[in-house]
Amino acid sequence: MKTDRNGIIPVCIFLIAMLLMSACGRGTSGSAGGGAKDSTLVIAMLGDADYLNPVIGSSVTSSNISGLIYPGLLQSEFDTTSGLLNFMSLEKKFRPSTGGRKPEAALAKTWKMAADHKSITYILRSDAFWDDGKPVVSGDFKFTYRLYGNPLIASPRQQYLAELVGADKHSVDFDRAIETPDDTTLVFRFYKPVPEHLALFHTSLTPLPAHLWKNVKPEDFRSSPLNQKPVGAGPYRLHEWTQQQSLVLASNRKSNLPKPGNIAFINWRIVPDYTVRLAQLQTNAVDIVENIKPEDFSSLQKANPGIEIKSVGLRVYDYVGWSNIDQAAYHKSGKILPHPLFGSAGVRRALTMAIDREAIIDGYLKQYGTICNTDISPSLKWAYNRSIVPHAFDQAAAAAILRKEGWLPGPDGILQKEGRKFSFVLYTNAGNARRNYASVIIQQNLKAIGIDCRLDVQESNVFFENLQNRRLDAWMAGWSIGLEIDPLDVWGSDLKKSTFNFTGYRNPRIDELCELAKEQLVQTDAKPYWLEYQEIIHRDQPVTFLYWIRETQGFSGRIEGEEINISGTFYNIDDWTLRPSSTIAP
Amino acid sequence: MLIYILKRLLLSVPLIFGVLTLTFFIIRLAPGDPAAFFIQPGISPNVAEQIREQYGLNDPLPVQYVKWLGNVLQGDFGRSFSRAQQPVFEVIAAALPITVTIAALTLAANFTFGIIIGIISAVRQNTFTDRFLTVTALFFYSMPEFWFALMMIIVFALKLQWFPASGLNEIGAESFGLPGFFIDRVWHLVLPVTVLSINGAAGIARYVRGSMLEVVRQDYIRTARAKGLPEKVVIFRHALRNALLPVITLMGSSLPFIFSGALFIEVIFAFPGMGRVTVEAIFARDYPLIIANTFISGTLIVLGNLVADVLYAVADPRIRL
Repeated sequence: MKTDRNGIIPVCIFLIAMLLMSACGRGTSGSAGGGAKDSTLVIAMLGDADYLNPVIGSSVTSSNISGLIYPGLLQSEFDTTSGLLNFMSLEKKFRPSTGGRKPEAALAKTWKMAADHKSITYILRSDAFWDDGKPVVSGDFKFTYRLYGNPLIASPRQQYLAELVGADKHSVDFDRAIETPDDTTLVFRFYKPVPEHLALFHTSLTPLPAHLWKNVKPEDFRSSPLNQKPVGAGPYRLHEWTQQQSLVLASNRKSNLPKPGNIAFINWRIVPDYTVRLAQLQTNAVDIVENIKPEDFSSLQKANPGIEIKSVGLRVYDYVGWSNIDQAAYHKSGKILPHPLFGSAGVRRALTMAIDREAIIDGYLKQYGTICNTDISPSLKWAYNRSIVPHAFDQAAAAAILRKEGWLPGPDGILQKEGRKFSFVLYTNAGNARRNYASVIIQQNLKAIGIDCRLDVQESNVFFENLQNRRLDAWMAGWSIGLEIDPLDVWGSDLKKSTFNFTGYRNPRIDELCELAKEQLVQTDAKPYWLEYQEIIHRDQPVTFLYWIRETQGFSGRIEGEEINISGTFYNIDDWTLRPSSTIAP
Repeated sequence: MLIYILKRLLLSVPLIFGVLTLTFFIIRLAPGDPAAFFIQPGISPNVAEQIREQYGLNDPLPVQYVKWLGNVLQGDFGRSFSRAQQPVFEVIAAALPITVTIAALTLAANFTFGIIIGIISAVRQNTFTDRFLTVTALFFYSMPEFWFALMMIIVFALKLQWFPASGLNEIGAESFGLPGFFIDRVWHLVLPVTVLSINGAAGIARYVRGSMLEVVRQDYIRTARAKGLPEKVVIFRHALRNALLPVITLMGSSLPFIFSGALFIEVIFAFPGMGRVTVEAIFARDYPLIIANTFISGTLIVLGNLVADVLYAVADPRIRL
């Protein structure tokens, strides 16, 4: 027994010594063995990529990574001066380029839109090759478009095929819709005239190498091992993928689309916990962390002055949704009646005026937030209505409107109308610090004018299901907008078709304006319609638009040449370089 | 004893099966939709419907259950919804060894430290050492693990930078060679195992102390002392053996706690283990993966309890199974 007890102590000492030694050892090798680190960029991400396959990949991470592995028919860039999307082939540009993207990455040499806008013909380059040496041909596109359109594969991008011949009759007629007279000619045919920018956008889906995928049955498509070994032609290729841990891309030395990536390796490391991602950025264990919360900026930069916070936007906004219609009556009989509390545009305007949106921005987002008037982003400059003056924070005016609408203070101080109290529950989803912060301010603001607003936080899945089924009267959520304006899903009057019209807002003029804007064959001709659209939405306040958010990303100081853009943080990642570690202060 | 073990094993089959059936219905009745991700503007509404069709979620619930039952009886738990259609057992095969490593290390650390602290407390009852150990143990015992983990990361990974904050290995650890790789792995495991075991060890220490104090008052201990045996022999040979009996049952019942503790730890430290798989599967409403995880953890817990009962009989000859 004696030896037993005394044996434990030396063992413990030995273990501790070994661990300390290993810790010290790692410390030195970390700085001396800078070689590997100097050639690897490490990006921390919340979750793993799902499929490295452009047909079925659905997460943002997957698209970011697929975009580096697979070649694109065209290169697209976001013109920050106008807010319009530009498309480029090797020899032709849709609009004058504002720099950033390189046309050398495009597979198309040039294109021609037919005079009747019912077909577009691409001429492909003949010097593009898949990594296995086979040329990229027009047949690859036709083959892949069939996959995009196959219901068994359920591609999240199938709406890109919505204008192709046959799509109006529920199934695309691929033999007529896509023609490949030879290996370098690719023709898309539409059932109706399509504006050129939309044709370019919708026909430039990423191809797969047909020779590798042609024997995979559609029902086996998602489980095919080829998804784990993508063969592309872009600046990077997959080097190693340890699922749920890390995904390493290596510069593709053979690539001419546009060229091999500058940084030898890019490691996308999965770190699910936010605090840990921050800690890793602070200790230089990772180089990029996306979506850093504004409250963490100062401590982050104090602890590691090398870190740069970059922001992009504006694509994301938060809003308070008010059910415009009486949901209970709608579910029961399909009848559309105004909501007893929020049915009137006047009341909704008063609610917006009663909420101190500036206070939420100053308290949480600071310079990374801007007041939001409607769902057309100020970044889409060509369509944004600058003449709209935001509803100012004015509780006296809000109270006056409510009085005019018949809402008078009851004995307990809470507003009442026809025996009904102005009292409701504001729902939001769990785990969003920004919305929690905002909801408390909103509650206080509304209390000040005699409205009883209780807060309830729901698990995200539950919250979104309730929202989709139009079961909530008031809620706080957010939208991330696309770079093409298409708001009909969110405001369309046909509530069965417009599945994202959670508020039940209906205004025939909005439907009309959206249709008119879509019909314009020149995108900028739609401007007057969008200006009017914003005036109406601002007047009707179907929801209280709170603020636009600039997304904030933390970058290690050793990254050079990065240009982040509204279309993505990793917009020109193949051009980035890493400064050797010896030149960075620890 | 063999017959007893066999009987218990046979009984556990319907038990686990019942658990799986319950899980099958509960997760389907819970709000949320595995195809919810595909319901967003810009994605055709057909996609969610096609995805549901692929997953077989459009069938009536009893039909889904019969189909599922048929597959499970053939040993097929299906493919994961959220992890690129990987067979669920492949997902688990990758995750289980990590969790088992953490659990085994934690269990060992739990009992080693718990027993040592418990004995010291009991032997030095009512001294400063005892009170100090008791207060410290209670302090750690009442601390939520996830918060403790974050504090450890802030102190040891962020401020002192002694240990890494996440992952199983350093980037490029493959090039360190086998001993280097191993040391790197151990170095990454220090913080999570410490967090998980401190809490458990504190609890076990309380048990050991209590049970030691009870045993020390027994007549046979007085007899042993009266015989003139050295104190060490009295404590370790006569008292400890008897005092450890209730602790052995703890071993079986602490398995579920270690597994549930691993849920937080794996998410916080970014270990791709069972805990993280389970948490992510639940949030994604990945039905096949949730059920397979329940199957694995349920089986381990039932086995853990069985082992505890058997150990009990091994340690105490008075107990006959």
